[in-house]
Amino acid sequence: MGERVYYLDHAAATPCDPRVIEAMRPYFSDVFYNPSASYAGGRAAREALESARSIVAGIIGAKPYDIVFTAGATESINLAFRGVLSGGGKAVISAVEHVAVRRVVENYPHSVAKVDTRGLIDQDDLREQIDDETVLVSVVLADNEFGTVQPLSAVARLLKDIREDRRTRGVVTPLYFYTDASQGQSLLDLGVSRLGVDMMTLNSGKCYGPKQVGALWLKPSVRVQPLVEGGGQERGLRGGTENVAGAVGFAEALRLVQAERHDEAKRLGAIKKQLVDTLSALVPDIVFDGHPKRSLPGHIHMHVDGLDAERVVFHLDTEGVYIATGAACSANKATRLPSLEAVGLTESQADGSLRITLGHLNAAEDVPYTAERIAHAIQTERAL
Amino acid sequence: MSQKVTVGMSGGVDSSVTAALLIEQGYDVTGVYMKNWTQDLPGMKCPWADDMADAKRVAVQLGIPFKVYDFQTEYRRLVVEYMIDEYSSGRTPNPDIMCNQEVKFKLFLQAALQDGADMIATGHYARIADRSQPAEASSAARLYIPEDKVKDQTYFLYRVTAEALTKTLFPLGIYKKEQVRKIAEKFGLATAHKKDSQGICFVGSVGIRDFLNEFVETTPGNIVDTETNAVVGRHDGAIFYTLGQRHGLEVGGGLPYYVVGKDMEKNEVYVSRNLNNDAMWRDFVELTNIHWIHEAPKDGESVAVRMRHRGKLLPAELRGTTLVMHEAERATTAGQSAVVYRGDEVLGGGIVV
Repeated sequence: MGERVYYLDHAAATPCDPRVIEAMRPYFSDVFYNPSASYAGGRAAREALESARSIVAGIIGAKPYDIVFTAGATESINLAFRGVLSGGGKAVISAVEHVAVRRVVENYPHSVAKVDTRGLIDQDDLREQIDDETVLVSVVLADNEFGTVQPLSAVARLLKDIREDRRTRGVVTPLYFYTDASQGQSLLDLGVSRLGVDMMTLNSGKCYGPKQVGALWLKPSVRVQPLVEGGGQERGLRGGTENVAGAVGFAEALRLVQAERHDEAKRLGAIKKQLVDTLSALVPDIVFDGHPKRSLPGHIHMHVDGLDAERVVFHLDTEGVYIATGAACSANKATRLPSLEAVGLTESQADGSLRITLGHLNAAEDVPYTAERIAHAIQTERAL
Repeated sequence: MSQKVTVGMSGGVDSSVTAALLIEQGYDVTGVYMKNWTQDLPGMKCPWADDMADAKRVAVQLGIPFKVYDFQTEYRRLVVEYMIDEYSSGRTPNPDIMCNQEVKFKLFLQAALQDGADMIATGHYARIADRSQPAEASSAARLYIPEDKVKDQTYFLYRVTAEALTKTLFPLGIYKKEQVRKIAEKFGLATAHKKDSQGICFVGSVGIRDFLNEFVETTPGNIVDTETNAVVGRHDGAIFYTLGQRHGLEVGGGLPYYVVGKDMEKNEVYVSRNLNNDAMWRDFVELTNIHWIHEAPKDGESVAVRMRHRGKLLPAELRGTTLVMHEAERATTAGQSAVVYRGDEVLGGGIVV
């Protein structure tokens, strides 16, 4: 470090926006009070917390009461899955869910619905996986590997038909539609009624807010068990003194990315196109994965068959260019990612897979240099 | 054509510098991570994946090919099971010595040669040949104490064969550890400031007791004072106790107790408060499984012996399979190795009966 860094891994972590840090600042010191305290300071903290909740609710078109703040997205995922499935029933998840979803669902009866080679959910297979014991269906808003944006409203219509069919047959099992919006939240519409979901996970650490803050939105009809018991905070679903500064920062971060999302999507889309074109020219056998149209504007997944992508990442690290092999969570586990297998990448294609995710820290004028370094690293490492 | 050397890279600073030095010396170097053990233990995550990534990171920095040799099956059988068996029989084995004999300087060597290497190298602190020819292998490769007397790892290497040594390089043998760290910094290696690993690699920080608990059924038994024949306490498995051990005996009050023996059949551990107890002091040990790298020392020749890693070099002579020490020493537990030196040279040694 010390030299300039070119950060192309925004899907792994985002830097806190300076405006977010400003918004949070008072709640570390001046307004540090416990929101449950009855004096003026406590009431001020409560007010800030509830205002943050209202902002988040407003953005997704929900009621503030239905937002539960959590310590990050993984906890939100755990609350959703454990909360629903501990009451019995089965889950169906898509084959490109985040590792946190895949891990927590392993504790319960579940099946995995296929995706196509572009990472898009196979709706016929999804329908087939759902039976009368299915209570939870999970399809990510946009996955963290390929950035493929899923047709959630279409899936919601499918689930609506299944619910209606259940009603006519007198089957009373509920069927909830969950989505993890961690990756798409900065650039996509989050309106829950337009998306047709019943539960949604949001993640502050991936939208230029503080880490270890997130939320679970639950439709009022969704019944869940508490995850962390304590002093009854967050509707009793998540005990513990509320992280006021975190919630304020998260709300401000989400507000900012959503207000700027159209411009930012256009900006990132242009950088992405420039990067893809340059890399294609420099490395003729590079293959770009994911969906040509339905993909996040800043998301690039690519592979070079037979390449050791980890070497490329290590190589670029020494030059201050930060990119990823697979998901950051899995990179050091020495295991391949199931989502790469799910889209039909072979072992040697998966091992040769790289991910570039663009965001605030990227500018169009850096593309020629970064593309050249990435291409050079690929050519150097494939020769060894 | 420059000579092809395969370096065993563990992800630590020593093997990283080994690879860097050999490249500088003009060898055609390939890095290999030996995947020997990957099992987590309660309270301890086996760091193999991070270590392998560190090794690979350094290989990339140095611009050399990197491979993984998977020896998990063989390692479990030849090192871990050997160790468990030895403990179960009441002995205290040294798995590092077995790992060098069976894995690093046998399986790894064979695999590297098969892959086209002319030689192997590791980051051990030891020298081959003599001071005038540092790190230079010859047909009469002999093993010597390295420059860094504190890091000296020759105790663990006495069972390596002469044939293996002729195909081995120990570039660190002429350096001190501080110099090795400096070289790592000079090359800007990612592992330059990595902490040294401690203890037996697969046991790690949990300690041998917790490790054995995972793999061996143990039954509690009596601790008996041999001076009074009184039961002075209970132990939770005789295998956990080793001769001369003072700690870990939950026997309260007064002078400390020392382990002076144990009976695996009766599951009893014998202790004494008398530091002069005969069982604790010996001026000879009987050896078995003796291995000489080249020729054996002559009967009665004045040699030196080391009873543990970094232990003092004790004047001794060999009479048949009996090692006679010039002065009585604290007794060594069965299963440990006695390593014989002639001056700086490691001749070989044997396992204490």
